[in-house]
Amino acid sequence: MKAFACYHPAVLMLYFVAVLAIAMFCWHPVLLALSLAGSALFYFTLAPARVFLRESAFLALLAVAVTAANPLFSHGGATPLFFINGNAVTLEAIRYGLALSVMLAGVVLWFRAYGLVMNTDKFLYLFGRALPALSLVLSMAMRFIPLFRRQMKRVGDTQRAMGLYREESLPDRARFGMRVFSAMVTWALENAVETADSMKARGYGLAGRSHFSLFTFSGYDAVMLAAIAVLTGVFAAGAAAGGADFSYYPRTVQLSLSAASLAVYAAFGALCFLPAFIEIKEKIKWTYFKSKI
Amino acid sequence: MDIFQIENLSFAYPESARPALDGVSLSVAAGDFVVVCGQTGCGKTTLLRMLKRELAPHGQKSGRILYCGRDLSALGDREAACDIGFVLQNPESQTVTDKVWHELSFGLESAGLPTSEIRRRVAEMASYFGIESWFRRDTDSLSGGQKQLLSLASVMVMQPKVLILDEPTSQLDPIAASDFIATLQKLNRELGLTILLSEHRLEDVFPAADRVLMLQNGRVLLYEKPHAVAEKLRGIDAAHPMQSALPSACRVFAGLGGQGPCPVTVKEGRRFLSDTCVSAPAAPQPEKSVDSGRVAVRLSDVWFRYERDLPDVLRGLSLEARSGEIFCILGGNGAGKTTALGVLAGLLRPYRGHVLPGGKRRGGRKKDGCCGQRAALLPQDVQTVFVMDTVRKDLGEACAAMGCDRQRAEAMVADICERLGVSHLLDKHPYDLSGGEQQKCALAKLLITEPEILLLDEPTKGIDAFAKRSLTALLRSLADTGVAVVAVTHDVEFAAVVADRCALFFDGQLVSEGAPRDFFSGNSFYTTAANRMARHLYPWAVTCEDVIECGGRNRRVKP
Amino acid sequence: MKKNIILFLLIAAAAAAFVLFADIQSVDEYYLSHIDDIKEGDPTVFLTIRCDTVLDNYDKLRQALRSPEYVPEDGVILARTEYVLRDGDTVFDILERAARHNRIQLEHHGTAAVYIKSINHLYEFDCGPLSGWIYKVNGGFPSGDCSSYVLSDKDEVEWVYTCDLGQDVGRGYTEEAAP
Repeated sequence: MKAFACYHPAVLMLYFVAVLAIAMFCWHPVLLALSLAGSALFYFTLAPARVFLRESAFLALLAVAVTAANPLFSHGGATPLFFINGNAVTLEAIRYGLALSVMLAGVVLWFRAYGLVMNTDKFLYLFGRALPALSLVLSMAMRFIPLFRRQMKRVGDTQRAMGLYREESLPDRARFGMRVFSAMVTWALENAVETADSMKARGYGLAGRSHFSLFTFSGYDAVMLAAIAVLTGVFAAGAAAGGADFSYYPRTVQLSLSAASLAVYAAFGALCFLPAFIEIKEKIKWTYFKSKI
Repeated sequence: MDIFQIENLSFAYPESARPALDGVSLSVAAGDFVVVCGQTGCGKTTLLRMLKRELAPHGQKSGRILYCGRDLSALGDREAACDIGFVLQNPESQTVTDKVWHELSFGLESAGLPTSEIRRRVAEMASYFGIESWFRRDTDSLSGGQKQLLSLASVMVMQPKVLILDEPTSQLDPIAASDFIATLQKLNRELGLTILLSEHRLEDVFPAADRVLMLQNGRVLLYEKPHAVAEKLRGIDAAHPMQSALPSACRVFAGLGGQGPCPVTVKEGRRFLSDTCVSAPAAPQPEKSVDSGRVAVRLSDVWFRYERDLPDVLRGLSLEARSGEIFCILGGNGAGKTTALGVLAGLLRPYRGHVLPGGKRRGGRKKDGCCGQRAALLPQDVQTVFVMDTVRKDLGEACAAMGCDRQRAEAMVADICERLGVSHLLDKHPYDLSGGEQQKCALAKLLITEPEILLLDEPTKGIDAFAKRSLTALLRSLADTGVAVVAVTHDVEFAAVVADRCALFFDGQLVSEGAPRDFFSGNSFYTTAANRMARHLYPWAVTCEDVIECGGRNRRVKP
Repeated sequence: MKKNIILFLLIAAAAAAFVLFADIQSVDEYYLSHIDDIKEGDPTVFLTIRCDTVLDNYDKLRQALRSPEYVPEDGVILARTEYVLRDGDTVFDILERAARHNRIQLEHHGTAAVYIKSINHLYEFDCGPLSGWIYKVNGGFPSGDCSSYVLSDKDEVEWVYTCDLGQDVGRGYTEEAAP
């Protein structure tokens, strides 16, 4: 059971916004490492092992690519290793590339975890009251994605069964994919017209659209909300005092251990590991209870 | 009071010479269950859409529609949306949101009701329809029948006074379809809800109807109680094409020249036959010898499953498809018939057993499945065959893939279109064609690849009786040229008419096989309505024509 | 299958081309450049690299660069030095040779029309949004890029860092080419 996902949507949303904002805009290596560790652990508790491994493999590949590519574009470091075409490949650029790939990996995993935890009705609940039209559009988008995927598979199967396309090589497969895709576009438009009819028939477009949902706010949610707010506050205070500053060029600065920095590391670390901690605690609780029976 | 009063309604689509509706006048009494039928293009959909203001098409309109005595255009927006419910044909595209509960509350949200009211109504409707067990599921995970039921529930939750449905069961299998019609009947009986339903499959629906409205070329042909329809139709035109669309009981009645109220259900038909005819000694017609043509493909003890942890779909399936023969495989929904076709087409590879093209083991590499280009599969969703924006381009593409040059390609296209009668459709967009026309064009595209085996997945889904007849003729002519035709279908009536051999698919294998006559007369339930009606007199009679013939020769002599 | 092989071969060829045609040098190779000794009668030019405008705008300078390593106390990265002028040398050629010889970091961009992105780790925009490198020849600001200006004997070349789009180093809105 996804324990973290059971919290109120507002709590979940606030959590992800806070974590992602910090993860995307801070360059401090300790913070980035914490973000990656926290998100990886959380994602591990949510997704099946096979999916997690596949994702990790992809991200590792991405990390290698980014780390290798960054020095080719960014030459500002003070420690050159060798020169290509008159421009330096520097140690700092490699470090920056590494940091960038850790950041990307962390953010990707946070988004994946977000996808597993926050489904559409939660999202819609949050924005439904304020922006009912937008929330409906999103709900419909969520409906259409699996529908299109299925139809695409059907079209692909039919075309393949007709034996008109050879699929042995990559360029052939690409061409085949394009054909299927263009057929899908037409289908999607036709489908959309029928869906629009269905909506109109049930009164879509009448003034004063209300909103219905299944969520309630409880004590647990309040506690979690407070925790997130406090941790974010501590982080903000530390960052304002310079605890989160870091630069790679022209020379990578030393990791600081000042009070502000430590506060920042601790606060953000707690924030990142919070959901993983909740999930693991839940798992332990269940195993413990079961063993008592 | 009459719920609808239609006065001299005429309507023409823009840029259309012929009017879609021409002087239609009728009134629908409150609480009536009205079935609207007619050939494709007769104006059923147009008429029904005109009754729902939000879906009314644009064009030239004359005449009036009164709803409860008031002009339809004078109704308030909210009233028009809530009081008149409309259920569309396609369960997939009708569903708007991604969760069942959201779909149910969609209409009420649009109407602006407060949360507590919505909660109450949704709970009530879900309980009434038995939806509680799937209330929190994704709409994506529902079956076709469930989706259509959900659409019905989400319209009913707005508490309409009249419900209009446009061919709601055409995309459903027979069991889901009859469940749906039964639900409609329940609504009509228990709530007094007025229902207007347009349908092709009249067998299930006639018994439930209070009135039948038949349209032709935009005009009202007849508007009678079901029992009076057959006679009235015969009176208008003894050989009217709609005769063959009527339920089997009506057809038999008409064929045997019955007088008075026409039987509509199998039960009534039985009684009529017992009164009119006597049983005959079991002297079946000389069997058309099952042509032992060449084996086109053989499946030998094939086992298949989609994934390691899922149960087997095919369990030791063995079958043979012969050239020049039409082989129909019947069976329930989800039994695995489509999977069997996939294996025959070479799309799916069984983990045990052999697929033997030509009946013999073939050495060498197995590339693109075992039958490769020799088999052509017409899928359930015919639209997926088309990838271009005109039929001509699609056919041209098939020619190109066959490696023909321009001249030969043109000759082939012309020839095939001639044979299927679709030459006039070549420059249209495939999505603009009707169900039957789309099917023919898709077949044309498949036939260009000159397959030896033609596989059809539910060919009678969503097409009307006339398209079915022309399909029957087409398949017959194809079989005569030596193609092996294998059709998977739910439609027992269609199989009885078209097949040379039938088989029942159950539990992953074929459990019985034989010529239609033997096959159907051996079954008590899985057989045509005509057979069920005449079992006690002529157990070998499978189609209406058979029953009429036997009955005609063995009339009960009145004392 | 055949087309797959062709695709892989193309990718491999591209990679090989990159390795072969890109000029890869180790650090020592790059900096190891023998500077021509000045002999009697050789044509020469004088090169100065300055960033003193940064000292006037120290608060705008990027935090990490606030050290004498990048911005010397007197604002002079390279004092006025004489270099042998080879035939056809442009402003860029002299700068590059001098930077290599003196181990001054240099980043440039482009081959046909070279643009200097940084000298001694001072990049454009590092001291405010209007900052960057600009060059003068004999006191005037030539239009065009530094790789197209061919130098003559006894030319004075100055590379100056401006924090003000050239205003603070004497470049008006309309400037005349060097005489």
